[in-house]
Parts: sequence; structure tokens; C-alpha cells
Amino acid sequence: MTSFIRPASSRPKVAFLISLALIVMIGAGVVSVLLIGPALHEGNGGFVDRAEASSASAVAAQVPETQADLGRLLFYDERLSGDGSTACASCHDPNNAFSDGKPLSDGYSRGNPYFRNTPTLINASKMPVYYWDGRFAQGDLATVVRDHIAEAHFMNLDGRLLIERMRQVPEYEEAFIRLFGSEVSYGKVLNAVVAYLQTLESSEDNPYIAYKAGDQGALSAQARRGLALFEGKAGCVRCHSGDLLSDGGFHNLGVPDNPSIFEEPQRHITFRRFFRMLGVSEFAIMRDDPGLYALTADDADRGKFRAPSLLEVARTAPYMRGGVFESLEQVVEFYDAGGGGSPAKDPALKPLGLSDAEINDLVAFLESLGSPADTEVEPELPAYQPRTLGAN
Amino acid sequence: MNANRAGYTLLGGWIVFTIAVIVVAFVFALDDEPPAALYVRPTPEPREPTATPAPRIGLTAAQLRSRGLDVLPPVTMPDDNPLTAEKAELGKILFFDRRMSGNGSVSCATCHSANVGWGDGNALSLGYPGTLHWRNSQTIINTAYQAKLFWAGEKTSLESQAKSAWTGNIAGNLDPIMAEETMRQIPEYVERFREVFGTESPTFDDALRALAAFQATINSRNVPFDNYLRGNQNAMSDAALRGAGLFVGKARCIQCHGGPLFTDQSYHNTGVPPNPEFESDPLRQITLRYQHRARGVPEEVYRSADRDLGLYYTTKQDSDKGKFRTPPLREVGQTGPYMHNGVFETLSEVVEFYNDGGGDDPNLDPLVRPLGLRPDEIADVVAFLESVTGDPIVIQAPDMPEYAVMDER
Repeated sequence: MTSFIRPASSRPKVAFLISLALIVMIGAGVVSVLLIGPALHEGNGGFVDRAEASSASAVAAQVPETQADLGRLLFYDERLSGDGSTACASCHDPNNAFSDGKPLSDGYSRGNPYFRNTPTLINASKMPVYYWDGRFAQGDLATVVRDHIAEAHFMNLDGRLLIERMRQVPEYEEAFIRLFGSEVSYGKVLNAVVAYLQTLESSEDNPYIAYKAGDQGALSAQARRGLALFEGKAGCVRCHSGDLLSDGGFHNLGVPDNPSIFEEPQRHITFRRFFRMLGVSEFAIMRDDPGLYALTADDADRGKFRAPSLLEVARTAPYMRGGVFESLEQVVEFYDAGGGGSPAKDPALKPLGLSDAEINDLVAFLESLGSPADTEVEPELPAYQPRTLGAN
Repeated sequence: MNANRAGYTLLGGWIVFTIAVIVVAFVFALDDEPPAALYVRPTPEPREPTATPAPRIGLTAAQLRSRGLDVLPPVTMPDDNPLTAEKAELGKILFFDRRMSGNGSVSCATCHSANVGWGDGNALSLGYPGTLHWRNSQTIINTAYQAKLFWAGEKTSLESQAKSAWTGNIAGNLDPIMAEETMRQIPEYVERFREVFGTESPTFDDALRALAAFQATINSRNVPFDNYLRGNQNAMSDAALRGAGLFVGKARCIQCHGGPLFTDQSYHNTGVPPNPEFESDPLRQITLRYQHRARGVPEEVYRSADRDLGLYYTTKQDSDKGKFRTPPLREVGQTGPYMHNGVFETLSEVVEFYNDGGGDDPNLDPLVRPLGLRPDEIADVVAFLESVTGDPIVIQAPDMPEYAVMDER
């Protein structure tokens, strides 16, 4: 532990260096303002001047043309978190299938790592329920966004601060008025992000989707054999059914918990607080993720989690709510063995007796479940600008 | 256009260079020699106490006492939070614990540092990362004596003040339940809370009590003015003694800064000028508007918000706009910059401000009026203010108890 006392003798040194910086600042500032000068006189509502905004970033921030465009900027904007460290895209990385590739989510900043795996957001707007435990219902994606922005373990930002931060960015202030008809509000921020999330869908070039649409060649022969197993002998389709390959239901597979939740003190802290807030009385002594039980307090729901969509499963390792399986092969082997050892496991789970070749076929099919990865270029975000004081 | 581009390039380079220089400066500042006592305040040469004390100059101790100025009595604590050494020690650890903030990066000590008189030495406090605070960080020295806390006096106990500081969105941004679970993960805290409060696991409310107890131990030490009142005729310089006479007389300071704490614990508008940082700094502007929303003002007040309205946020009376709680003057020699927005760097500036009759404000308190002090008198008042400042209170930061993996059940 270093002492908090700053040595007195270093102060003159600091003062000297800061003075040096000030001199350079003033010099360069004067010259650059003279050069930019003519651009400074454009009128700009409540903001002091617009020219400095574009000078701060050489590439001009793109002007959003739709609510979804605006939502995309917000999705990348770390100012949507309390300490400005964490954007939606920090965990739902567009270049990683809107997930983070980690077993367990990092959560907010360096304070409160989360205790579940970051799911992809592709097709999220179509899911019947949200979160691994299904604690929010379909059609209420805005509430899911609100939960992320506000929660101490996700982005930890006060709603009033959010609005004032938006109002401090002239491009945002203008865009909300233009695209929503009136100035920014908390609801509009949520709706803009939702509009963006609604654009995140599997591509028609996803081999499985192309195959279903009639392109026989989209799946290899091996993958087609795997599909037959998926719908037949392996029984995957019992839960992974429908267009999303999810029945939207809750199932206990006996998947082991990720021990990091309890071995990493900060994760355990987040875990306990979460279940305490949800009113789970045994939050302090639990050493497993109770899943749906936290909502229902019905012992039959212990260890049940939402069946995830598999449409992008080839791109979203690691797997399961605790990220305990690194590969699809491990997942298939887990099911082949009849799932995990929990006594509360769904009785439908039985050893499947798949041959090695069949396991390979099934994995080949699952690996066809993934849209081609577009490289997303991170947008240039508009910067805070000073407003005219008192013109709010 | 080319000129514009050159301007942008230069501006960009200038920003990068400036940041680099400041970073380097801070690295130098943080990584240097061993700690040393700071703020060596010039003190009068020690002299032998005279056998027959007689005032050399100015007012006697008895005269000053008759005007209400006095040494501080022993600290008192609320009935539900008696002061014990063990509780104060626990509070000291919590005071320095960065884990007790929303992102684990700031502690109370971040903005209330012993290095700088238990404030932060800035005009305006830094606040939570991602934000900038809107008021000057006040010293915690002698806070246990104060009936009203924060610049607008909206809290009436150390415990409730600590709650606002820990949980406030531009301060600690800490969730109380997260805080309780954080403390529960640290065996030393569990043990200390059990010993001090008799609970099975730490509670947030008890943590507030412990913080208050620690603060109650940070009080003025070896104050020349107090030593004078106690009979040491040589404790104050001649200038300070002359300043004392002015303080209670011509300079009218005592109108508001009376009593042992040098405050009437009331509210006044002295017309403190705005801090220009609010005109140019986006993060300060965000905080200013946020505060207006958070404190629930009428729409037109929010729309025109250009300054801190002080007591108005509590009363919503127009006549209270710009009124702030009279700050105690004890320790003022080590707690600059001054005023709720840190707009004055030195005590001389403050005294000159009052000498000029305060600032320009329609709600200016009639107690504030031009004083007609000569430059030497201003210097005397400053010398007196420095004499109500005690020794720097430098303590060693405690070792932080560590997280443990919790055994099953």
C-alpha cells in the first residue's frame, strides 16, 4: 500500500511542467483559432460554437438519418455508463457477433463483474423473453435497455445524468429533435437503442436460413446429416424449435456452474447483490445460479434457464449461461452423455448414444448456424460541446 | 479551407501534447520521494511565556470570548452513534477504501485528502469519474461540530452527509446493497463490524456511523488562536492580533463567522462571482443542469440555470437564490481555494472581496457592505485567519483489508 501523501518536493516540478503545457496550449490555441476563425461565426442554438466540434475529431461524426442510426451511435457510446467506461458495445461487440467471447460478462467498469454469459443481440428483438432467467417479457426491449443503463452491475448511470449528457452533444440534441419530433428524453434514448437492436437479425446468407429458404447447396452433406440428427435421434428440436431454434421455454439441463462466480470475490459480490435484490432469501449461502427460481420461488424452477436461439451459435462461444463449454463439440458431448448430474434435471434428457461420426455431423450442422460476419466500423462519436450558459 | 485544416491539425497536436505533458507531470508527482509533512505554515518564533501576561496589542482573550469566539468544546456525537476508538478506526479504513464506490476507483480520501487540508485543493471538486463536480470540496476537519453540512446545508448529520457522498451520482455512485455485499466479502470488515456494532454482517447504515466516528476524530490541533485564548500571550503574531480586532470590529467578519466554529450556521448571499469554468466546461455544465433536475426546480429555472442557487434548492424561495451556508473558518489557512465554487485562490482575495462590499447580486445580504480596510488591515485580517488554522493533520493511509473467497455456508 503506497502512502496517499504526495511528496512536497515534487510540487514545483509539477507546476513547472504544467506551466510549460499552458504556454504551449495558449500559443497553439491562438494560432489555431486564428486559422479556424472564419468558421466560428455560424449560429448554433444553445451551443457556444460548432466549429470546434468538428475540429476535435478530424473525421466528421456521421449524421444519423433514422432512429436506428442514432441508436447505433448510442450503442457505441461509453457516456451511457456512470463513469464513461462501458458502452453496450463493450460486451455486445458488433465484431464478435454482438457478444464478448468470454465465459462470464465483465459487467460494469472494474467494479462489478457479472455472473452470466453475454448473449448475442442478433435476433434479440424477436426473442419471447429476455435474459437467461427470462425476467423481462417480449415486446419490452426498451425496459431491457433501461435495465442495462441503470443497473449497478451493467452501466450504472443515473437517468437524469443521461439526459443532460445527451443535451451536451449538439449532434445528439439535433438528432433527437429531428428524428423524434421533440427534445431528448430518457424514453427516446431507450427507443433509439431499441430501433437499432431491431435491425440486428440473422442474414439470409446464414447457411441454415438459406437452406430453409430452398438453397439445398447452402448446407454441406455432413451438415444436412447433422440437421437430420438435430431433428431426430439427438432430439435437440424438442427445445430448439421454430424459426429461432428456441421454444422460449425454461429447462434444467444440469449444466455445471462456472466456479469463477464464487472464486472471484467481486463476481460473488455482484451475484449476491443481484439475488438479494430479487428477493431470494438464501442469496448469501447459494453456491449455484438458481435461474428461473429467482422469479418464481418454485423449487421446480431451480436451475432452469431460457432455451437460447441457436441461429448464430457458430459465432457465440463459449456456451451456456456460465460459459462453461468452449466449443460446440463439448456442448454436443454434454447432451450425448444425457446432460449434467443434477437431480432436478429435465427427465427428457437421456444419453443419446451418438457415434463419433454423428457427433461430428451434428457439430457440422451447428457450425452452419451463423451469418457471415460483416466487419463493423466503429462510428465516430460526436463530442461534448460547451453550451451557452443559461440557455438550456 | 487549408487554413482551417492546418488549424485543426495544430489543435489536435496541441491537445495530444498537452495531455502528454500533464500525464508526465502527474507521473513525476506520484512517483517520487518518501512522504513528507506538507503545508509547512510559518509559525511565530516560540517565545518564553511572560510571567505576568498582559496583551501586547489588540484584544485580550477575555475580550475575544465576550464576542463569542472561543475554543471548541469536546466533540459530541448523536445518541445512536457514540464515539469509540474501534469504530473510528473502522471508519478510517472505510474512508480510504476505493471499493466503496460505483466503479471501485474513488474513496472519500480521493476528494478529502490529508495532503490538502482534507479537501482536494481544486477550485471545484473532481467528483465521480465520467463527471465533474459542481462545488468546492470542503475540509472534513471539525465537521463533527457542524449542524449543517454541504455548501447549502441540506444535511444535518455526518451520517446522512456520508450517505449522500457515497451514493450521489456525481460523487461515489455507490449502490448501498452492493456496498453491504462488498463489505461482507472482506473478513476483516465482518470481524470489525461484529465487534463494533454486534451484527452478523456489515450494514450500510453502520458503515455511515463508522465514517462519522472517524470524522469526529479529525479536529483542529494546536491552533495559535486557541493557544492565545488559553493564555499563551505569544501564540499569535502582532498582525494576527490586530487582525482579530478587525475581525470582530471594522471588518465585520463576526457578523456571520461568530462562535467557536466561526460560523453562524446560517445562510447568506454574499454575491460570490460565478466560476467561469461553467461557461466552458461541458462536464460542469452537465452537472449543473443535472443538479437542477435532481433537486426539482420549476421548468423555467432549469431552462435558465447558469449558476448554483444554493439554499434555493431546499426552500424554492426566490429570495434564497444564491444563499449558502456560512462555512466555518477554522483551518481556512489550509483549505483554499475558497467559496462554494472555489472562485478565490487566496485568503487575500477573499478579504478584498468583502472589503469591496461583496459581489453584485440582487439578493446580496445587507450585512455585506464596503469595509474601507487599508491594505495593511487586509493583511492583518489574513494573518488572523491563518492563526485560526492548526497543524496539518497528516495520517498514514490504513492498509486495506482484502477480499476473501467465501467458504460454502
